Amino acid sequence: MHRNLLLTRSNIRKAKGQTVAIIVLVLLSSLMMNLWLMLSMDYRKNFERSHDKLNDGHINIATYAVSDDFTSFVSDMLENRSDITEYTVGEAFSAPISFEYNGGNLSQFGVIIEKENALSRKVGKMEITEDSDIKSGIYLPMIYGTGNNYKVGDTFKISIFDEEFEYTVCGFFNSAMIGSHNCSMVALLLTDDKMEELYDKYYPYSSAYISARVKFASECEEISAEIKGIIAEEYPDVMLTSNDYEMITTSRYVSQSICTGILSAMALLVLLICVVVITSNITNFIGENMQNLGALKAVGYTSGKIISSLLTQFVGITVIAAIVGITLSYGFFPPLNEMMIAQTGIPYSVRFQPLPLLLTLIFIAGIVLAAVYFSARKIKKIEPITAMRQGITTHNFKKNKFPFEKTSLSLNAALAMKSTFSNAKQNLTVCVTMLVVSLIAVFSATMFTNVITDVQPMVEMIVGEYSDSGINVELDSENRLISLLESDSRVEKFYLYTTNNMEVHHVGGSTLYVSVVDDCSKLNNQNRIIEGRYPKYDNEIAIAVKYAKDSGIKIGDEISVKADISEANYIVTGFSQETNYLGKDCVLTREGFEKIGTLPNATYYIDLVESVDVDGFNAGISEHIKSGLNTAENIKSLIDSASSVYIMLVKVIVAAIIMVSCIVIVFVMYLLVRTSLNRKKRDYGILKAIGFTTSKLVLQTAISFMPSVIISAAIGTAFSIPLINPLMALVLGGVGIVRGTFDAPVLLCLIAGGVLVIFTFGAVCLMSLRVKKIAPRELLTGE
Amino acid sequence: MKETLLKTEKLSKSFSNGGVMQHVLKNIDLQLYKGDFTVIMGASGAGKSTLLYALSGMDTPTLGTITFGDKMISELSQDSLAVFRRDHCGFIFQQIYLIDTMSVLDNILAAGLLVNNDKKALATKARELFSAVDIPEETIHKFPTQISGGEAQRAGIVRALINSPEILFADEPTGALNSKSGLDVLDTLTKFNEQGQSIVMVTHDMRSARRANRILYLKDGIIMGECDLGKYTPNDNKRHEKLADFLTEMGW
Repeated sequence: MHRNLLLTRSNIRKAKGQTVAIIVLVLLSSLMMNLWLMLSMDYRKNFERSHDKLNDGHINIATYAVSDDFTSFVSDMLENRSDITEYTVGEAFSAPISFEYNGGNLSQFGVIIEKENALSRKVGKMEITEDSDIKSGIYLPMIYGTGNNYKVGDTFKISIFDEEFEYTVCGFFNSAMIGSHNCSMVALLLTDDKMEELYDKYYPYSSAYISARVKFASECEEISAEIKGIIAEEYPDVMLTSNDYEMITTSRYVSQSICTGILSAMALLVLLICVVVITSNITNFIGENMQNLGALKAVGYTSGKIISSLLTQFVGITVIAAIVGITLSYGFFPPLNEMMIAQTGIPYSVRFQPLPLLLTLIFIAGIVLAAVYFSARKIKKIEPITAMRQGITTHNFKKNKFPFEKTSLSLNAALAMKSTFSNAKQNLTVCVTMLVVSLIAVFSATMFTNVITDVQPMVEMIVGEYSDSGINVELDSENRLISLLESDSRVEKFYLYTTNNMEVHHVGGSTLYVSVVDDCSKLNNQNRIIEGRYPKYDNEIAIAVKYAKDSGIKIGDEISVKADISEANYIVTGFSQETNYLGKDCVLTREGFEKIGTLPNATYYIDLVESVDVDGFNAGISEHIKSGLNTAENIKSLIDSASSVYIMLVKVIVAAIIMVSCIVIVFVMYLLVRTSLNRKKRDYGILKAIGFTTSKLVLQTAISFMPSVIISAAIGTAFSIPLINPLMALVLGGVGIVRGTFDAPVLLCLIAGGVLVIFTFGAVCLMSLRVKKIAPRELLTGE
Repeated sequence: MKETLLKTEKLSKSFSNGGVMQHVLKNIDLQLYKGDFTVIMGASGAGKSTLLYALSGMDTPTLGTITFGDKMISELSQDSLAVFRRDHCGFIFQQIYLIDTMSVLDNILAAGLLVNNDKKALATKARELFSAVDIPEETIHKFPTQISGGEAQRAGIVRALINSPEILFADEPTGALNSKSGLDVLDTLTKFNEQGQSIVMVTHDMRSARRANRILYLKDGIIMGECDLGKYTPNDNKRHEKLADFLTEMGW
């Protein structure tokens, strides 16, 4: 066998436990890194593949209340545009709908299309992913077939224009652009008989669904705004809802963004711990094997050969462990994929991906190689004779720390402190590990209180405004609604909050979705404004922070905004954030908006006193308003159902990262305790000989780790608390979050830090039980 | 009539070496007496250190019993043995075995604090012992690696005596020292024995053995003979000749 391999094999044989621990750390890191890269590199591309496969539109517009010549007008207009390559203007029934989902009620803008029409569209085609023999009924987007929701044969209850319908679920379909409630409108396919029934009921109501492909996807937002402008000018009474490619690619992958953010952070942090552990091990190896290294040099081994044997050992172990980790990641991907599909609604088949594999392998092996090389370089400085005489001391104590005569500590504690202060490298490894794990503990505690136990903070950060009920009425019924609400004792407060995908255009900039509010001080989510304040007067505006930063707009600047009537200048009073519009939205007062545009209708958000049944309340309002009412939504239920996917995802993530943290602590501590016991085997033998019991020595060993564990956990917890929101902003930056607004639960974080310390203490105590194996008789020198 | 400190009956110790059993101690019946300076001698491989460590509760016998007073120490658990060693025994090792990461004084106090929590009294006692073994104050604050071998071994004696053990076990205490240092250590041990300290020492050095009043000769795991030398007096040639004759008789 090659000499290098002989040395490597000998090193591994002597350090089996250390090898196992490093394997576990590399395995965890590579598993998470490969999952991260697969998710970030291919998962999003999957949307593009699905979009191309279905020849789906980059711009999609659903309209209702269209006139007879609408289709020909839109077709001609699209035909004459050089930036549109293909389009389909097809028949559809568009209306506000609501249905049960994830235990709540989901209200959406529905695009109901006859199944065969949907499957044969040239642009914006849909595909059946699950079919059945049922001839009459409804096909649902496949996202509603995931989890414990609908299955073939179930009865699907839907409210269209607040009228109840029941359909049998015939199957599920995929649509890239309108296949989920994250798309601002959602498609439903009816069999021809059910479609005819619907048309008969609502005749002469008609609508259209337009899908258009553009030459350059990056321009779709601007082109969409132009097309909608032209339609609105020609048909001012036509209501329309739209989305575009850029918006959907991001909004359908919010959970993927969260997951990749967390996986990447965890993979890199575990790798960092692994590097610190390897570095510390090599330094200890050199210290403990000084004589052997000297002897090897004396018999002709060069420094290079000894270093390369260490490189072969560690990089070899790393590559093998990384391959196992990558292989295991394919086992974890299917359940993760199921969770992702529940949010994205896009089918994805797990497949082998060579690029993430290569990147993971090269990155991890490269980092380990560099760490080994730089920490093993000191072997070059070892002179054989000096080393064989153990001339290079591994420890040099200038001061006797914690002298027993003077210290007030107990014997065990003082001995432990002496041990602590005699090993800086051990402390460094403990500190890095505990700092990382504290961050994870604080993150988990924050997620627990801000998502799992109470979803409201997450709703505030991601969804935006929330309330119990949202009632949309025609403007001529507005006063009637207000007087009803004012006289109803069940109403705690109400305010105008109209969004309905209304848009305004920032002159010289982009189209922004606008929220129109009569009194911003009544809004439940005051956290939406992360800097400055909401607008109070008609010449003020709050704009999305992401858009403001991208466009260089500052608070106090004056910007021009136009809508369907005219253009006006507004002073920017604050920056807002929510993910619904991906960082392209603004808030205007009603007076402010009405200077430039017309409110098509009015949505009032209503907070009810506790224990009032929202659906019952809405039904009562519907009774009174009758034809003037467009929709009455149970916002609370809507948010509950939409957020349940995220809650589940966060639960899984928190459970997974806590498990990974525990594994990391156990293996790092195992390595450190093992190294410490090996290094101090002689000392433990002496202490046992003079009467120290195993339990005293176990306690002493465990206590010796505690100062660095406690200090780093305390520092880690204290520093992680303010770090959580910037980290959330980093993870969710792509969907418009610039500043996290979670409240870090200080007490829970401190408890988490305490649990971490106790867990580590327990783990170290258990591992220190190896002290039992050290027998004083090993000090025997004779026969 | 001498008071018995330690007693063994049918004491045996075997080791498995590559699947082959090696019987190092064979059915040893022995009594050690209070105030004695007992030396165990024998050729290499005779089982001297094995016997010493079995007697001191550092190791457990394979068969037979060891009784200390009315306590059967051969049946104690490892932790109970540690407590027994702490409360009744002192140890001096050939390799000294001071802990390098603490000062000489702390090495002694680490042993002392196991029994006595009064740090002040303990430190005073340690200083008296250091003074008795000729270790100056400035040395006791140094680390073991910063003092000579002789000083370290005398510090080892102080550690062994700090808890006023009923019996002091010494395993070749002069084995790693030069002649002068070895003599100093022997003088120290003799001095403490004269003050009533019971000592059991393993050695194959005749010069060291002369300090004992009782010699046990071990061969192939069996006590082949014993010699009563009487009280040690320097330059007592008759005593030296008696020991030499005994050892010759034993085939040493």
